Amino acid sequence: MAVVTLDRLSKRYDGGKENAVHEVSLTIADGELMVFLGPSGCGKTTTLRMIAGLESITSGVLSIDGRIVNPVPAKDRDIAMVFQSYALYPHMSVKDNLAFGLKRRSVDRAEIDRRVTDVAATLGLSELLARRPFALSGGQRQRVALGRAIVRDPKVFLFDEPLSNLDAALRASTRQELARLHQRLQATMIYVTHDQVEAMTLGDRICVMNGGRVAQVGTPIEVYQRPANLFVARFLGAPPMNVLKLPIEGQGDARAMRINGAVVPLEAFAPEALAVLGPEALLGFRPETARLKREDGAGVVLDGEARLVERLGAETIVTLALPNGTEVLVRAPGDTALAMGEKAPLSIAAGDLYLFDPVTGEAVARR
Amino acid sequence: MLAVLNRSLLLIGLSLYTAFAASPFIWAAMMSLRTTTEIHRNHFALPNPPHWDKFADAWFNANYGVYFLNSTQIVLTAVAILTIAGSMAAHCLARYRFRLNRTIYFILFSTIIFPPQITIISLYQILVQYGLYNSKLGLTLVYVAIQLPLTIYILESFFARIPADLFDAARMDGYSDWEIFWRVSLPIAVPAVATTVILNFILLWNEFLYAVVLITQEDNRTLPLGIQRFIGDTQEDVGMIATGLMIAIVPVIVVYAFFSERLIQGMTAGAVK
Amino acid sequence: MPAGKNLDRSDGIRQPVGTIIAFLLPALTIYVAFTAYPAIRTFWNSFHIVLPRREEFIGLANYIELAKDDIFWKAVRNTITWACMSPLVEVSVGLILALALYAKVPGSRFFRVAWFTPVLMSYIVIGILWLWIYNYDWGPINAGLRALGLGFMTRAWLGEPATALFSLIFVTSWMWVGFNMVVLLAALHSLPKEVIEAAELDNCGWGAKLVFVIFPLVRATVLNLIVLSFIGKMKIFDLVWITTKGNPLWATETVSTYVYKRAFEWTTFDLGYPSTIAAVWFVIVLVAVLGLTWAFRSRERLEY
Repeated sequence: MAVVTLDRLSKRYDGGKENAVHEVSLTIADGELMVFLGPSGCGKTTTLRMIAGLESITSGVLSIDGRIVNPVPAKDRDIAMVFQSYALYPHMSVKDNLAFGLKRRSVDRAEIDRRVTDVAATLGLSELLARRPFALSGGQRQRVALGRAIVRDPKVFLFDEPLSNLDAALRASTRQELARLHQRLQATMIYVTHDQVEAMTLGDRICVMNGGRVAQVGTPIEVYQRPANLFVARFLGAPPMNVLKLPIEGQGDARAMRINGAVVPLEAFAPEALAVLGPEALLGFRPETARLKREDGAGVVLDGEARLVERLGAETIVTLALPNGTEVLVRAPGDTALAMGEKAPLSIAAGDLYLFDPVTGEAVARR
Repeated sequence: MLAVLNRSLLLIGLSLYTAFAASPFIWAAMMSLRTTTEIHRNHFALPNPPHWDKFADAWFNANYGVYFLNSTQIVLTAVAILTIAGSMAAHCLARYRFRLNRTIYFILFSTIIFPPQITIISLYQILVQYGLYNSKLGLTLVYVAIQLPLTIYILESFFARIPADLFDAARMDGYSDWEIFWRVSLPIAVPAVATTVILNFILLWNEFLYAVVLITQEDNRTLPLGIQRFIGDTQEDVGMIATGLMIAIVPVIVVYAFFSERLIQGMTAGAVK
Repeated sequence: MPAGKNLDRSDGIRQPVGTIIAFLLPALTIYVAFTAYPAIRTFWNSFHIVLPRREEFIGLANYIELAKDDIFWKAVRNTITWACMSPLVEVSVGLILALALYAKVPGSRFFRVAWFTPVLMSYIVIGILWLWIYNYDWGPINAGLRALGLGFMTRAWLGEPATALFSLIFVTSWMWVGFNMVVLLAALHSLPKEVIEAAELDNCGWGAKLVFVIFPLVRATVLNLIVLSFIGKMKIFDLVWITTKGNPLWATETVSTYVYKRAFEWTTFDLGYPSTIAAVWFVIVLVAVLGLTWAFRSRERLEY
């Protein structure tokens, strides 16, 4: 277990015009599972590899347990990594794959055997110890890769999209196994993924990254319910948050937005924050918070027309056209009786509305 | 700091090795522009002045022109036949399944390890018997035969990788088997065909053993034979031989300059396992 | 449907016989006429005396004479020495050079192209160049030795029985190291990057990475190159013919040069005896190659 601290970590490749990773600052607590989440190319894997020591750090300070590890080579950082492609040694048996790192560290033979047997038993690999990687299935290889890391008993575990090469069913069960593993080992883990389900279910905290920078760090609920900017708001949640660009009318406390006659009051938001906005702002609400009925006392009530109704059994996704022509998605109960072309009202509670600055993308603070 | 020192030492070592690999050619190039008298005075001096007329002299008076043209004619013809016959056979072996397919492929492929002596004596007899001894046509046909296994090996593995869907689609469009070969297989296989063309050119341009057995007439000599003729004379005209060497090397260098990557890949095909 | 007979494949789809034959005909005709038939005829020759105007069956007489032929056995020893020494030198030096380029030295693309050049040249060109390099009076080797005050080390490299064969082996090594380097470099580059990174995290420095990860994974290519080099040297002719022709005193005589001499430069015109040599040699090469391939076979598939 260890505390990992990133202090303005940056990475620029030779010949690169800008930083692949720009001034990432973060502290990962002892025993925490931190997820780096973001789209491809956002710098999450590069950051992970800098922590591992597989990429050089251009600027910034990386510390593990208070010790600065920038100049320390990868093998001396007491870190284990599970690679996306598993990276098993093709010419060694499962047993040798598991034991290799320990042998290289001159661990006592009996100790190696003990640890390998234990880990193999935990991961269900005991029958496969004599096999070579080519004779294993994808799921089995992944467990060997995991075992190789566990057997090392490192300070920090690093995971580089370990589930992305598995089929959907295996992914779900392995994900749960990883969660249980974290609970049992109580180890510090850093997990990279582009899949928000993995991030939400596994992470103690999530670090959302975009374009080489940190967009937001927080617990899964925090980043979901209180996104700090438009990117995080739209990245988490499926279907993604509906966002409308609307002009702001009025002054001071009477500020409001208007959608073809319906008024959206902005009292929930801090006046100082509203004051710095320009003439327009972005209004957002999540598909699951909108109701297809007329609710009095709601923040906003609109009239819409159903353009598309997709019945999934457990829920229904309705594409609703608003009076001003924009379409929004709504998650309705599975037994919603709505036909295409039918008119339907839309109600959203004031507390479920989000506001974003159209220029900076920052979320507008609430009162 | 240590890394920089290591790297510089490595570079020096590698540059020395490059000099080791290239210097014989550079030496020959220099000697090709000097007269034999100049050379015997100092074997390692730079050409001063460079005698470019030696090339014309070698071409016309020492008959290098004849040898060069013979080589060109024989090799280009052989390569042309190899390409057509080889690609037809490779296409057939790769795309059609029939019982003798793998047997034929295996026999052709294993020929690559045969020592040439097993065929050369009989070839001599056969060519004499059919009046093809000492003829460019005879040598051309033999050249085709010796390069067929390698050509078919390279092309077959390429043809086999073309997705079957393309052929099925062509068949559904009503193409005949020959049209499929000509309009689907060959155009896709152009890179592999180009590789075999360049490879065969280089290997046959340099070929010596079959030429020395099957050609004795001066007018039909290929370039390697022509050069060899001058060695062994007690009075070696070093300068002129060097010029002849340059004439032999230049086409290879030209092909290498334009097609180095393709040539390297062709010659090392199948060696990476 | 085109007319004509069709073959049935195992899945019931018909294969057009006529077309298959048409595609194979040109290549197979030439192959049979100029490779298969001559090979068989050589075996046939080996049981006969073959003179310009008559042939006489003599059973195993040629083979018996061959068993007692000292020159033949000397040639065999020379050729096998060559075929065993060359691969060891060529592949190991090639591997060292490939590792040097793999370590991302600047200019590696240039080096790769430059070192491959000798492979492209005719043995004739190479042979003449090295005749001059080894020249006793003015060749760069002896001239260099004299310039360094090491005049006592100068030799007639190709003229002395003790040094002639090894001087030639050195030439082929000089020539083929580049080939092996290129192939091994490609093999090194095809290694999975993440496996090597995993080794780094497993406390492997450069040496350990080489021993535990890189060498095992390129083993198949290395063995393949050894076999290729072995086959090539068993066939060698051009280089010897242009430099020493087997001299001095059969020190550089190879089986191929001996066959040529017995067939075309001997007092008798008998083609039967050289055919015997060719037949026996063919079997020896085949057995050797099969033996090597069997010894080097890999016991497992290395998928990555």
